[in-house]
Amino acid sequence: MFQNRAESLALALPAALFAALVFIAPVVILLSEGLRNSEGWSLASYITFFTTPLNLTVFIRTLKLGAMVTVAAAIIGYATALCIVNLPPKGRGRMVGLVVLPLMISPVARTYAWIVILGRTGFVNQALTALGLTDGPIRILFSETAVFIGLLQLFLPLMIIALISALENMPRDAIPAARVLGANWLQVFWKVILPLTKEGLVIGGTLVFTGSLTAYITPAILGGSKVLMLETLLYQRVTVANDFASASVIAMILIVMSFAANLLLKRLATARTKR
Amino acid sequence: MTSRFLSAFVLSIVMLFLIGPFLIIVAASLSAGDNLAFPPQGLSFKWVLKVFEIESFRASFAMSMMLAILGTLAALAIGIPVSYALARYKMPFGETVRTIVSAPIIVPGIIVGLALLRYLVIPLGFNISFALFMAHTALVLPYAVRVVSASMVNLRGDIEEAAVLLGCSRLGAFSRVVMPSIRGGILAAFILGFVTSFNQVPVSLFLSGPGVRTLPIDMLAYLETTYDPSVAALSALLAFMSIGIVFLAERFLGFSRYV
Amino acid sequence: MSDASFLSLERLTLAYGDTIAVKDLDLGIKRGELVALLGPSGCGKTTTMRSIAGLLQPKSGAIRLDGADITRVPANKRAVGLVFQSYALFPHLSVFENVAFGLRLKKVPKHELESRVESGLKSVGLSKFAARKPAELSGGQQQRVALARSMVMEPKVLLLDEPLSNLDARLRLEMRTELQRVQKESGITMIFVTHDQVEALALADRIVVMRDGLIEQIGTPEDIYNRPTSSFVADFVGFENVFALEDGQLKTPRGPISLSSPAPAAVAGLAWRPNTVKLDQGPYSGTVLGTSFAGRTREYLLDTPLGPIKAEIDASVPGHAPGTTLSFDLPVQDAAPLARFA
Repeated sequence: MFQNRAESLALALPAALFAALVFIAPVVILLSEGLRNSEGWSLASYITFFTTPLNLTVFIRTLKLGAMVTVAAAIIGYATALCIVNLPPKGRGRMVGLVVLPLMISPVARTYAWIVILGRTGFVNQALTALGLTDGPIRILFSETAVFIGLLQLFLPLMIIALISALENMPRDAIPAARVLGANWLQVFWKVILPLTKEGLVIGGTLVFTGSLTAYITPAILGGSKVLMLETLLYQRVTVANDFASASVIAMILIVMSFAANLLLKRLATARTKR
Repeated sequence: MTSRFLSAFVLSIVMLFLIGPFLIIVAASLSAGDNLAFPPQGLSFKWVLKVFEIESFRASFAMSMMLAILGTLAALAIGIPVSYALARYKMPFGETVRTIVSAPIIVPGIIVGLALLRYLVIPLGFNISFALFMAHTALVLPYAVRVVSASMVNLRGDIEEAAVLLGCSRLGAFSRVVMPSIRGGILAAFILGFVTSFNQVPVSLFLSGPGVRTLPIDMLAYLETTYDPSVAALSALLAFMSIGIVFLAERFLGFSRYV
Repeated sequence: MSDASFLSLERLTLAYGDTIAVKDLDLGIKRGELVALLGPSGCGKTTTMRSIAGLLQPKSGAIRLDGADITRVPANKRAVGLVFQSYALFPHLSVFENVAFGLRLKKVPKHELESRVESGLKSVGLSKFAARKPAELSGGQQQRVALARSMVMEPKVLLLDEPLSNLDARLRLEMRTELQRVQKESGITMIFVTHDQVEALALADRIVVMRDGLIEQIGTPEDIYNRPTSSFVADFVGFENVFALEDGQLKTPRGPISLSSPAPAAVAGLAWRPNTVKLDQGPYSGTVLGTSFAGRTREYLLDTPLGPIKAEIDASVPGHAPGTTLSFDLPVQDAAPLARFA
C-alpha cells in the first residue's frame, strides 16, 4: 500500500521542481557564464580574474581570514567546551543556552555592535584614551583585525556546540584512565581528547570555515571597501562595474569550496554511521 | 579549586565576547545623546521610539515579516510532502531528490540572489517582490525538509495502516494521524525558517528595488549614511523579538529537540 | 456458503514488485475459528495476512469473506481488524480516543460510542487507563488497547501480527489466555501470524504451516505436533532426528543404513523426537559428544554413523560421560512417517 512509486514522485515533485527551476537552473547558468566568452567555452574570465592583483589579494585574504578564524575558534572552542561539559547538568544547560542565543540574533545587529565597540568614538578607543595609552583614537574599524573579530564572534558558537556534542559522546572514563596511566593534561589533550573528538572538530571547523568564506555582512560593515572579501568583492564587481564574468568566477570559487566542505562532512557522517 | 576558578574565568571571558556586544547594543540604544556611544550619554527611550517613526524601517519591516511568513509557509507546503515521500517510500532517485531540495543550503545566498535577478527578474520581467519571495522560499526549503524529516523519523508507517483499517481514507489517515504526530516538528521548522529568512541578508542584496527592501538590507543602507543610535535600537528590538520567539518555542515545544 | 469457507483464499498469488511472496495459496477458514499462520520469517505468512487486511493487492486470485468477494474492496471498507506487532497506537491520542477512533469515523452516535468504547476497555481490563496516552502504558497494556481498538469495530475477522513476540515470558502467558478468552466470548474469527511453534500450538484451533510462499501442512495442533507430514514441519516442531528413506533404508552421509524393522510403505522419510530414541540397546552405536542435564531429563548428543543424533532420557538413569560408546535404537513404530522430504 505504501509501495506506490508514482505517488511518492508526485509528492516529491513540487519541491524538486521548485528547487531545480528557481534555484539550480539560474545558478548553473550563472556559473556557466564565467566559463565562456563571446566565442564559446573559454577560461578567459578565470585567467583575467586571477591575474588581477586586487582579486588575488582578496582571494588570499578570504582564505587567510577563514583559516585564522577557524583555528582561533578551535582553540577557544576547546577551552570553552571542556569547561562547559565539566559543569553540573543545570549549569551546562544554561551555558549552552547562552552560546546558542547569539545565533538567533540578526547578524546585522551582532556585527553592528562592533562599531559601537571598535569605532572612533567607540568603547575601546575611549578606554585607551582615558588610560593615556594613545593620544587620539586609533583606527580599528575597517581593518582585517576588525573583520577577524567580527567573524570569530559570529561563528564561534557553531564550533563550541559541535565540540560540546563531541565531548559528550566521548567515553566517560577515557580521561581518568589516561590520567591514571600517568599522562599529564597536555598529553591527555593530544592523545585522548583530540583523537576522540576530531569528528566534532571537523564538523565545527567546516561550519566556521565555510561561514567565514561566504560571509557578507561582517566584511561589509567592519571591513568596508578597504578590507574586501570574496562576497563583498562580488557585490562590488556587479554593482560598480557590471562585471558578471568576475561574479561568476567568485560564485564558482565559493560554491566549489562550500561543496567540498559539505562533501567532507557527509563523508564523515556516513563513516560514523557505518562503524 | 584552581581548575574551577580557571574554568569560571575562561567561561566569563568567552561569554562576555559572545553576549557582550549584544548588551552594548542595548545600552547604546538607550542613549540620550545623538551619537552612537558606549557608555551611553544619559538614558532615554528617544532612539527606540524613533525607530518606529522612520518610514522606510516600517515598510521594510513589513516586507521582511511578510517574506519570512509567506516564504516559510510556501517552503513547508512543498517541503512537508517531499519529507513525507522521502521518509515513507522507497523512492526511486530518493537521494537525488534530497540533494536537490537541500542544495540551497550549500550555495551562498548572494549567488542565489544574483542568479535570480539576472535570469528571472531581468529577462522574464518577474516582479522583484515575487523573486524575493521565491528566493526566501528556496532558502528556507532545506531547513524545512531537514526539521520535518527529523520529526518523521520516529513516525511508523503502521499507524497510518492502522488508521486505514479503522476506516480512514489515505488522505484522512495523513491528516488525522500523521499531521498531529509531526505538529511539533512543523512548528519548529516554521520558527527556524522564519528566523533564518528574517535575518537573511545576502540573498536579498541584489533583490531590492524602489520600495522593495528587506529590513536587514535597509539597516545596512541606513548605516552607510547615518551614524545615530537608531540602528542600535532597531537591532536590540529585533534581537529581543528573535530571542522571545525562540524562548517561547523552547518553553512550549522543546524547540531544540527538532533543530 | 459452506461453513468451511467463511473466509477463503483462492489461488492467491502475492508479490512485492517482481518478487513473488506467496504462490497459488488456497485456504478456507471457518467462522469462529482461531487459526495460526506458522512459519519462519520470509515464508509469506505476514504477506498473506496483509492481503487479507487489504494492505496489499493480490497479483492474482481472490479473497472471499462471508460470501462476498472482497479482493478489490479497499482496506478501509473491509470489516477486517488488525492488531499490529508494534501495536501502532496513535501517540497523540488518549487510550479512549484510540479506541474510539474508528467509531468516530463511522459517525456512531455519542452515547453509543461512549458505551462501546467503555465496554471495549473493560473487556481488556483497562477502564482505569482511558485518559492516559499510549506512551504512559506498558507494552502489555498497549497491546490490549490495540486489541480493544480493533474489537470495538466488530470486525468479521481479526488479524494479529506476532501478538506475543514483544512481551516478556510472564505477560506472554497472560496475553495468550486473554486472547483465548476474548475469542471464546466474542466468537470472532481470528487469524494470527507467528514464527513460534509453542505459541501456535498453545493458542490455535488449527495451524497453517507455511514455507517459501506455499502451505506446507494444515492441521490441528495435535496433528502438527505428532504427525508432521514433511521433513520441514517435523524439523520445525522439534523432531531433531530427521532422515530420508531410500529403498527402505535410512539415507545417511555415509551411505544407506538398514532400519531395525521394516519401514511403512510409501513414506519419504522418518523422524524421531529425542525422547523416542532408545539408549543402551539396539543395533546402532555412537559416541557421546556432550551431555546436558535438563531437570527431569538428560540430553545427549551422539556422534554416530547416521550423523549426529540427539537423545533424551530420564534423568534418573545414571549418566554417561563424554567419550563413552553407547548402543541405541531408532524404533520405527515411534517415528513420524513423512510423506514429503525437503
